[in-house]
Amino acid sequence: MAVLETENLSRNFGGLAALNHVSIEFRKNEILGILGPNGAGKTTLINVIAGIYLPTEGRILFHGQDISELPAHQRCRLGIARTFQLVRPLPGLTLLENVMVGSLFGKGLGQKEARRRAAQLCEFLGLSGVTRDITRMTVLEIKKMEIARALATQPKLLFLDEVMAGLNSDETREMIDLVKKIHSRGITIGIVEHVMRVIRELTDRVVVLDWGEFLAAGPYEEVSNDPRVITAYLGEEA
Amino acid sequence: MRAWRYFLYILIAIILLTLPFYTGVYLLNVIDIILIYLALALSWDMLLRSGQISFGMAGLFGVGGYTAVLLHLNAGVNPLFSIILGGLAAGVLAWVIGMAVLQLRGMYFAIVTLALAEIFRVIVRNLPDLTGGPEGTVLPSAIFSGNSTRTYWLVLAVAVVSVMASEIFRRTRIHFALTSIRNDEVVAKSSGIDVFKYLVFIFMVTSAIQGMIGGAYAHIYGFVSPEGSFSVDFTLLPIAMALLGGMHSTWGPVVGALVLGIVSEFLKLKIPYGHLLVYGLIIVIAILFFPQGIVGTLGQRFKRTGKV
Repeated sequence: MAVLETENLSRNFGGLAALNHVSIEFRKNEILGILGPNGAGKTTLINVIAGIYLPTEGRILFHGQDISELPAHQRCRLGIARTFQLVRPLPGLTLLENVMVGSLFGKGLGQKEARRRAAQLCEFLGLSGVTRDITRMTVLEIKKMEIARALATQPKLLFLDEVMAGLNSDETREMIDLVKKIHSRGITIGIVEHVMRVIRELTDRVVVLDWGEFLAAGPYEEVSNDPRVITAYLGEEA
Repeated sequence: MRAWRYFLYILIAIILLTLPFYTGVYLLNVIDIILIYLALALSWDMLLRSGQISFGMAGLFGVGGYTAVLLHLNAGVNPLFSIILGGLAAGVLAWVIGMAVLQLRGMYFAIVTLALAEIFRVIVRNLPDLTGGPEGTVLPSAIFSGNSTRTYWLVLAVAVVSVMASEIFRRTRIHFALTSIRNDEVVAKSSGIDVFKYLVFIFMVTSAIQGMIGGAYAHIYGFVSPEGSFSVDFTLLPIAMALLGGMHSTWGPVVGALVLGIVSEFLKLKIPYGHLLVYGLIIVIAILFFPQGIVGTLGQRFKRTGKV
């Protein structure tokens, strides 16, 4: 069963079709890898699904409900959460308070309950020193905080946009295990990643985009041998 | 520790309430003005916490003043109640305007608010039958027949309302919403915050406070006029106070208003008219060397030395 489907989803920026009639589905409880070379439209896809941009054309169905016109905050409350490719901490709030933003507004909890839940999530993700100033944390910690903030909204579908980028191999290992832990809580995950061993280990299926167009979908082993995919990544043979 | 704190609060409250009994009328008048600017500075800072800069304070201040005075004069509304209605009128007006212009952000929103203050002034000027036109409207008597003690209590009440509103904004979920919106709107809406709703709400509340202050001011001085009630002073001085004291807090604007208020009164006596020059210099120096303001800079220093 599909948690979320896109139907002929398109988004233009001026004359550029960042997404061009893309129809894909996120199946319940799967980890779906979203692949493609730079500029393929992976982040745009997340932005359109999360409601940061409205689609130029096409529909988005979440549990069968058409959410194409809904504003971002309502989609969040329905259960779509995401992290950002370039981390976006909120200075002026502590680590714990950053996470609380998700539980206060995405989940609609009161302050006391939101604080308790945020503390639980920080522990779950191995974040300590929750009263620290957010501007004095490592990249790994800020990435974890973003995941915690997204989880605090209690999502059904979670997008992870290059959460491994900038991490060393130990940290990447830790993050892979974390994603598995999150997935075991029954959350469907869409993950954008350039590190192929991460994709191979984590995903049930992948979709490949190229120049805003759908190229292929299926298990990683299958798709990675698809000549069209190889061409998209490496170019035509001379 | 806690008991000490309450003791301190009660002491401050008693001192504030009994101030008229050991200060002269002149000093009391100075305190009135400082408290009025203090309340305006706080309300401006409350909107700033959402990242929006308003230059329209004088407009809503004037609308509140005119509403209060005209309701009292023409409809016989009790002066105190008319002050509250002045605040409500400014709030409703801000709601309507906010719905229309709060799709704008930052400088664009600031420019619109700047125009608003001017538009109200022009409208008031050109409705002589209702507002008295360019000459304004004079009340037969100031509120409390000009009794300076009771007037002071009224101003104190207005300032306390502003401080309380500011503290409510700092302690509830509103604080989280505004801080998120100010720092990163994309994160805010991705986390479920209805950005537009919060911006309209905060604009409405701060405008209502400004309208209420304007109503009190108009009743205290017993008149309203286009140039006086919409004076740019009511926009610029509170902004300077909030910047000097420190933004995004309750104590910053309060300290800024006290310091600038006292300094400018002192300068007025020492160098008549030259005080504005020194006033401007203080603000420039403050912004250059203490961009966090007095409270922000002191707070950081204490944090660094580990003493709280």
